[in-house]
Amino acid sequence: MLYVGLTLAAVAGGYALLEYSRGVKGADDLKVAASVNADQLLGDFNTDEAAAMAKYVGTTEQAVQVTGTIRSMGPTGDGKVTVVLETGDALAGIACEFAETDVPVDWRSGATVTVRGICTGLLMDVVLVRCSAVV
Amino acid sequence: MKNTKHVALILALLPLASQAQERYMTRNGHIAFFSATPMENIEANNHKVTSVWDATTGAMQFAVLIKAFEFEKALMQEHFNENYMESTTYPKAEFKGKLAGVNPDQLKKAGTFEVTVTGDLTIHGVTKPATAKGKVTVDASGAISAASDFIVKPEDHGIKIPGMVRKNIAEEITVKVRLSYDKM
Repeated sequence: MLYVGLTLAAVAGGYALLEYSRGVKGADDLKVAASVNADQLLGDFNTDEAAAMAKYVGTTEQAVQVTGTIRSMGPTGDGKVTVVLETGDALAGIACEFAETDVPVDWRSGATVTVRGICTGLLMDVVLVRCSAVV
Repeated sequence: MKNTKHVALILALLPLASQAQERYMTRNGHIAFFSATPMENIEANNHKVTSVWDATTGAMQFAVLIKAFEFEKALMQEHFNENYMESTTYPKAEFKGKLAGVNPDQLKKAGTFEVTVTGDLTIHGVTKPATAKGKVTVDASGAISAASDFIVKPEDHGIKIPGMVRKNIAEEITVKVRLSYDKM
């Protein structure tokens, strides 16, 4: 009986430790809730922000896949790079935050690319974090 | 320009535009918070702060998306979004106020200026008056940045911490804001 109790306690402790130590998932580890082009993504937020939040941000973490043309890209500190996709609106883009090492070396302004990221909402840009390139 | 909601940040400053010549903006500001307790230390970072500052009038705003905060551990991030910040209901936090202590002429050459920011801070849907000390720096290349460290109490913004994890989360959270501005 004691042996069973100790075993159960060890299993529970191990599970708790694993759960506590669990790392944050990247976009590649999450279900893709929607695939969309950059113009449409911004348009959906501008048309009905609440509906776009429900669709693209969701209540639990999910990924969104966005295709567009790179307007600009550059470092934003702490090993992060932001790739901004064109939307047809000079004041707003799709801002995709990558770990520096996850940006393909051949990506340049003007290239058409597809990004998978976690949509967090709209400020001036629609913001995607923990992005990866879909190649 | 399209009739889009995202320009609200700029529109808030437009009434001042006729006299405003020195407006600055960033979409890649950094905000971090730290909770230190004997049980554990918690840190989160967000590199997508959007801020607009009119140096002529002092009007200043910044906004962040709560789900863009990143933690080292998934469990912390999930509790932060789902249990404490309720980020589906309250997806943004923002500050609207004035920055005093530096004028546009002083921004024309290198220097560091002690400033005070005063305004309204909205977190978790609760708006409270806030005042913080900070620094505005103009470097040798003319680049302008702003920095401020201040304290936020979760209970001031209606954020409830369950008793079971009360000892794991500080009653006073240290917030650090770092903004590198571009001229508009």
